[in-house]
Amino acid sequence: MSTPPPTPDEVLATGTEAVAAVEAADDLPTLDEVRQAWTGKKGRFSGLKRHLGALDPDGRKALGQAINTATAAFAQAEQARRAVLEVERDRVVLAAEAIDITLPPRMPARGSLHPLRTTMEDILDVFVGLGYRVVTGPEVESDWFNFDALNTQMDHPARTLQDTIYVEGLTEAPTRDDGTTGLLLRTQTSPMQVRTMLSEDPPVYVAIPGRVYRQDTPDATHVPVFHQIEGLAVDTDLSLSDLYGTLMAFARALVGEEVKLRFRPHYFPFTEPSAELDAWVPDGQGGGRWMELLGSGMVHPNVLRAGGYDPEEVQGFAFGIGIERVAMVRYGVPDLRLFADNDIRLLSSF
Amino acid sequence: MRIPVSWLYSYIDLSLTPEELADVLTIGGLEVDGVDRPTAGSRGLKVVEILAFEPVPKSDKLSLVTASDGDREWAIVCGAKNFSIGDRVPAALPGAVLPGGFEIGAKTLMGVTSNGMLASARELGVGEDHAGIWLLGEDAPVGADVTEWLDLEEAVLEIDLTPDRGYGASIWGLARDLHAITGAALRLPEMPGNPGGDPRVPVTLAEGTGVRRWDGRGIEGVTVRPSPPEVQKRLVLAGMRPINNVVDATNYAMLETGHPVHAYDRALLAGPALTVRNAEPGESLTTLDGVDRTLDAEDVVIVDADGPVGLAGVMGGEATEIREATTDLYVECAVWDPVRVLRTGRRHHLHTEARSRYERTVATETLPGGASRVAELVTAWAGGTVVGGVDLQPIPDVAPQIRLRPARVRSLLGIEVSADEQAALLVRLGATVTGTGEGERTVTPPAYRPDLRIEADLTEEVARLYGYANFVPTVPSTGQSGRRSPEDEAARAVRRALAGAGWTEALLYPFIADDDLAGLGLPAEDPRRRTIKLVNPLSKEESVLRTTLLPGLLGTVRRNVNRQNTDLALFETGHVFVPPSEDTPAADGGPSGVELPGEPDHLALVACGAFETARHDRAARPVDFHDVLGAVELVRQTLVAGPLRVERTDEMPFHPGRAAVVSFGDTRVGVVGELHPRVCQAFEVPARTVAAELRLDVMVAGGANLPTATVPSPLPGLRFDVAVLVDDDVDHATVRQVIVEAAGERLSSCTLFDVFTGEQLGEGRKSLAFSLLLDDPDTQLTDTEEAAAIERIATAVESIGGHLRR
Repeated sequence: MSTPPPTPDEVLATGTEAVAAVEAADDLPTLDEVRQAWTGKKGRFSGLKRHLGALDPDGRKALGQAINTATAAFAQAEQARRAVLEVERDRVVLAAEAIDITLPPRMPARGSLHPLRTTMEDILDVFVGLGYRVVTGPEVESDWFNFDALNTQMDHPARTLQDTIYVEGLTEAPTRDDGTTGLLLRTQTSPMQVRTMLSEDPPVYVAIPGRVYRQDTPDATHVPVFHQIEGLAVDTDLSLSDLYGTLMAFARALVGEEVKLRFRPHYFPFTEPSAELDAWVPDGQGGGRWMELLGSGMVHPNVLRAGGYDPEEVQGFAFGIGIERVAMVRYGVPDLRLFADNDIRLLSSF
Repeated sequence: MRIPVSWLYSYIDLSLTPEELADVLTIGGLEVDGVDRPTAGSRGLKVVEILAFEPVPKSDKLSLVTASDGDREWAIVCGAKNFSIGDRVPAALPGAVLPGGFEIGAKTLMGVTSNGMLASARELGVGEDHAGIWLLGEDAPVGADVTEWLDLEEAVLEIDLTPDRGYGASIWGLARDLHAITGAALRLPEMPGNPGGDPRVPVTLAEGTGVRRWDGRGIEGVTVRPSPPEVQKRLVLAGMRPINNVVDATNYAMLETGHPVHAYDRALLAGPALTVRNAEPGESLTTLDGVDRTLDAEDVVIVDADGPVGLAGVMGGEATEIREATTDLYVECAVWDPVRVLRTGRRHHLHTEARSRYERTVATETLPGGASRVAELVTAWAGGTVVGGVDLQPIPDVAPQIRLRPARVRSLLGIEVSADEQAALLVRLGATVTGTGEGERTVTPPAYRPDLRIEADLTEEVARLYGYANFVPTVPSTGQSGRRSPEDEAARAVRRALAGAGWTEALLYPFIADDDLAGLGLPAEDPRRRTIKLVNPLSKEESVLRTTLLPGLLGTVRRNVNRQNTDLALFETGHVFVPPSEDTPAADGGPSGVELPGEPDHLALVACGAFETARHDRAARPVDFHDVLGAVELVRQTLVAGPLRVERTDEMPFHPGRAAVVSFGDTRVGVVGELHPRVCQAFEVPARTVAAELRLDVMVAGGANLPTATVPSPLPGLRFDVAVLVDDDVDHATVRQVIVEAAGERLSSCTLFDVFTGEQLGEGRKSLAFSLLLDDPDTQLTDTEEAAAIERIATAVESIGGHLRR
């Protein structure tokens, strides 16, 4: 033995020195060196422990306790210091990894549904919610379904080549003197009223989306091809009040509870009484204008008869909603022709 | 129909503002499009009398007029020449303001100072007439404010009349309706009937012309000159051009009573005698608008001893019109057949005030009253006396007796309105109602409402007069759950899936030209070349119904690319139109027996430019075949569980090496491919545009896919890779098929992750690397299973001339 064993007090003093070394370490490698210097195999605490074997039990106990106290204090100090230094290291390292968060987001290419499609589906959703079934019908229609069955007289101006687009017969064109044929592009979705009645027994509650055609010169508010949703409800006791309520429910669901509506008489050959529903379109400056949302009415007895129903047994209502008009106001599209133009810049805005 | 409010208010006691009146009429079923105030904003205009005028030196147009406003004389330069000394005319003296806020001052013209200007009717905002200074007539008080004296601050309602409300095309009819709606007191004059006697022109009504009634009056000794200014003003505001006092009286009476009137100069009538008959083919007539018209056998004409003098119900003839020298008249007031008038008007492209009224049906019973009103106005404004009249009614007028069931009206309207209340509303309209209590009533509509014919018409009147605004809305229960058909739901799911995957929906008109199909390179026998033609297409380029969606989408691509929108991925769903077949059945054409085309739904996709656009961290990737095939696979996954199958095709309009027929399971659904370079050229779309066209109706026939869950194995699977070396012409599907079969039934996925060619593989060889996953929910798989699978694959690929790279 070259050196005498240290006293417990000397051990505690050494411990204090060790803690001071830990606290002096200002980065993690230095801290690792300090730990090695004190707790490694050749570390100073290990050196102290080697004296224990040479002592009597009392002395060993006293020195052992002092060493334990010193190493515990060292471990605690080292752990605390390490936590501090790790936070400091992370701060520096992660700061260096900063990226430009303002670079454009990376997202999958986004497509879109056509605004007329979305408007149509949203309106259909309302009627599905009200208990209507969605049905569709042909766009090339016979003049019987498009006009005759809808109580439209033979000489009605709508039947002329100026108003309606006619289709040549599939086999031999049975052209009439005035150039019309028995085949046309439907001018309204209403022929489906009669088709529905002929194929189903009452009660019927159906909504019919579809494309319709008029021989019209396009301008900002008229296009020759447009979309409608037709509604038909026939039951035992439906009334004009039911029609009004249904249309109000629709308009509120689509536009919002606050929408201002006006129900007023109108004329259609296939309904009587007939009505139009206007919605108030505010201009954002306290003013505004009434916009016709749809035409409607109680199904004319002649139309019920054409559908094979007895007007004394059943009664009902029908309505036709112009999709383009609704979409125009809904999305702020100033010109109806834009809907058919399909410019990707417009379509991508939906 | 333009209705000056003051004119209407001279027959009904109402004090609503024009805007309030517009609302009342609109809610009452006579839609007012707008309230026009054509004369608004003018002030300070005075009536002046012309004292003298002389030419302005060195000017051949201008005159220097001396005019008096009662206080002093003014020197005014004027360009018109239609006045004489003593005429009273409107003057905008310095300080006056014309409509629109244009302020008048004194200014110098050709060296002469003009104190303001003399005004035409148009300059005052009253109509279009600016041929000369407005001559106000000798009654005009000199010095009076023109605006006040003529009541120029006039509001005009523009009524958009529905075809059923003929009575709305008359001031008196509107007054009657306002009485029924509001209860306000009416002040309509009692009109005497036909006086009888000899109107000096015998009339014959031939059979088969549809004329229902004819009231003719002879008037002698009139003096033709301009009408009083307030009459002219009303006509102009109502949209008609003042001509002279006789013609103005006929128009004025028509606007009031709704009965069109025509006045002939009796001296110009050959005979004088008139006959109403059907025109003879080839006969001609020069109408009042100066147009020479060849008549059709279906036209009804009024002829004198020499030939046609008028086109019945549409327009009179030029040869017998009222002139300044006219003294004796024959005034015709008739009721014609609405359909024949409509056809004649349409045939000759004539839209006249008379036609628009006859088309809506003119009342027969009130005809003599209408004729009496004309006679009254003519004699008041042009002097003369009525020498006699004749009233012929070849088709008797029977007022309908309409059954009204009050309970049914209540049921149809859903309002609590008693039988007595219903009767009271109809009586206010002028109807006669018989019957008592809640039982059935019999209603005779008023004479001015020939449009009321059946119970439903009366129901509408009750609703209208009760007030649409007073209805209480109720929402009926439909007693069924609302739904779309499975096919509609599936189509909707497809559109949503595509939109979510970067595709943009276009909606196009379904019209194409036959040339488009040639542009697609379709051979003559291709069924898509069998198009259905339009009789009256919108344009030559839109002359047939589409049999394919591609031309429309390609046109959209071209339009967008021309606007620098170069990167496109578009799709459309919609009908094509083909002759009906078992595969594409048509709807029933109805009792007329007409055959309708089949309208199968298609889905088409077109993409060009970059499918992935350039970013700071990634170059742009141009679209290719597999992007569009990917969209098709997305559609398949949305709709069916069965696998996507492709088979090479060389059909047009596609690139023969880059196109495939696509099937879902065993069902062929369409073709996808790069477009043939010639097609890109023909449609002027970018080279390497890729497209697909699929039968949406076939694809959605089973509704959307209701998936069966894949239950994940609780044990970890075994993942390993194999690389197969094969000849270049062996395709991926073949290699994969061999691997899948060899791997055994535990294989749960097999994914191609690398395709490699290079010198070290040898000329004409390629390496395909696949990642495989084996799964077994019951057994822990080990290296033994992996080794066995690899050996099986190694053996199997030899059958296709390949071998496993180890």
